[in-house]
Amino acid sequence: MPNTSLFVDFSKQSPKGIIVIYIRLLYILVKTTWFLLFLFIQRFSKFSEETLVYIYVGFALLLFFLLVRAYLIYKKFLFKIDDGHFVLKEGIIKKKNTSVSFDRIQNVNFKQNLIQQFIKVYEVSIETAGSNETEIAITALSYETAGALKKELSKAKPSSEIVKEIKEKPLLKINFKELLKVSLTENHLQNLMIFAVLVIGVLQQLKDVFKSLNKEDVIENYSAIDPSSVFNSLFVFAMLFFVLLIIGFLSSFVRVLLFHFNLTLFIKEDSLNISQGLLTKKSILLNKGKVQSVVISTNPIKKKLRISFVTFKQAVSGEIKTQKNKLIRIIGCKASQIKRIKDLLYVDSDLDSDKYVPNKYFIFRMYFRSSVGLLLINNVIMFLIQDLTLLWLNLLFLPLTILLIQLKYKKSFYQFNEELLLVGNGRIETHHTYLPFFKVQHIKMKQTVFQKRQDVVNLVLQTASGKITVPCIEKERALKLYNYILYKVESNKESWI
Amino acid sequence: MDYFKNNIVTQLPDISELTFKKIHKDYLKVLTLTTLIVFFILFLVFFLLETTVEKISHFKHVNYFYMILSVVFLIILIAFFIGFSRRKYVLREKDITYKSGVLIEKITTIPYSRIQHVEINEAPISRIFKLASLDVFTAGDSSNDLVIKGIKKGEALKIKEFINQQINA
Repeated sequence: MPNTSLFVDFSKQSPKGIIVIYIRLLYILVKTTWFLLFLFIQRFSKFSEETLVYIYVGFALLLFFLLVRAYLIYKKFLFKIDDGHFVLKEGIIKKKNTSVSFDRIQNVNFKQNLIQQFIKVYEVSIETAGSNETEIAITALSYETAGALKKELSKAKPSSEIVKEIKEKPLLKINFKELLKVSLTENHLQNLMIFAVLVIGVLQQLKDVFKSLNKEDVIENYSAIDPSSVFNSLFVFAMLFFVLLIIGFLSSFVRVLLFHFNLTLFIKEDSLNISQGLLTKKSILLNKGKVQSVVISTNPIKKKLRISFVTFKQAVSGEIKTQKNKLIRIIGCKASQIKRIKDLLYVDSDLDSDKYVPNKYFIFRMYFRSSVGLLLINNVIMFLIQDLTLLWLNLLFLPLTILLIQLKYKKSFYQFNEELLLVGNGRIETHHTYLPFFKVQHIKMKQTVFQKRQDVVNLVLQTASGKITVPCIEKERALKLYNYILYKVESNKESWI
Repeated sequence: MDYFKNNIVTQLPDISELTFKKIHKDYLKVLTLTTLIVFFILFLVFFLLETTVEKISHFKHVNYFYMILSVVFLIILIAFFIGFSRRKYVLREKDITYKSGVLIEKITTIPYSRIQHVEINEAPISRIFKLASLDVFTAGDSSNDLVIKGIKKGEALKIKEFINQQINA
């Protein structure tokens, strides 16, 4: 080990960290007890003076207690670097000692939320993979210390020597105007869903509060719109659609702005350096070896503008489901930039081989399944709802289903060269997943009774970042691929992580 | 491309030409016994409900429930009998393979170099017959990894030892 002057002994975070921890504790407090606060404000006038004094004193004590707690958390949070390991001691009453060896570290990321931006400290998170150990986050470090730590942590790795800070032009930089453009092309339906789930969650919580107050009807009154009158009036329907469209657009704009504000992408030797985010600025150094698979996606509008978004998938640990955090997405990439990224990640990203399409059985199966589904819906309408006018909905459903099935079939294909597999799928959006064969963890071949008659199988490739399915391919070809992938995995000496 | 195809046909070891080993025949007894116990409890619970709760005993079609339950019982048992002979595994120098399935036939292979850890589990009824299950875990989403149920405990230990050697080699 080279002498690591800075972190040989246990060191604390920057004292400013107390503020960050304190605010975080306050936030948790507010988040868990906001309806108590709400009750308090609502019944404010009903409290007697004496009770109010007690409440204020209690509140002050609570705040003070949290301050002490924040200080203790800060005081007991110690870390050092010791013989190729990052060692962390934490905990006030329950002591916890974590030690992570350098080669298990997947990423060292910098993050800044609003407060951290304001007091100019960085949160350094150390991501590990492959086990159920939680990630390590150091809440507050000054920029110099954070940089030094990152350097130390990446020093031990043979693959990525200290990256020279070359101030070259970024490969990709998205300014506000482009961001606006990109957000226009997002999947508004999906964003609308996310927004709807959020709203429903909040409403549910409100309902619970009102229920406890026996004022259930307050909310009921708002949501009690007679459904039949809504559906009978086409005007209301159109308005609703319009409003939803606007909400969908706004929510996707907010989402894009929050996550991708000021997106810059640098390529440094063996890694990608991505920084983005408005409230929480994230800067990620993504080592090329850590990327399990890459998905390049586009949709019809994006295609017109010739942009697509790229999702890098990293290994997820089995126990914690933090998949979302391990997905790194960048938006607004042009074809030339995607080529650069592919060239960096893969030696040979040219897939000049023939495109293989799924067997005809694939489309047959989709039609079969959707007909069953449609029949079921029709039966429900006929026998349970007994409103035959709703049967007209078939006029909408039927073409939509056919369109979606045809699109899905058209977009499904797979292609490969010696090292790399490309799987295409999607309905309205188009997704191209690139997977190097040696990143496969295990491989599965599935065949239903119906598939057996057609002599086709589903091939499921399990990677550390999730599974990739190649549906309905001829058994003979699947077997060849199966054997070849096993050969590739077993003869490979490179580390998959 | 052509090079690749030739490579496959002539040189690569073929998974479909392997001779698989069946799991231990006693495991069929375990399966039967477990199903019997589960359905015995189901029947018992329903019988008790019927005799005690009036609403159910006055229900006209109460016998249908027994019929449905019996049919399900039979189907599961038959599925186990057919599926049993299809549960096979094989160990090669560099990977472990397991196949099974009645309506959906599955075959899974895990290369030793990708194995995170191996577990041996003994369920209560299996223990009577000295049987164990071998669970192999890889990185990532661990729900879909490989589980071989119904092999002799001694054999399971041997396989585990063998895999451990291969991982460390």
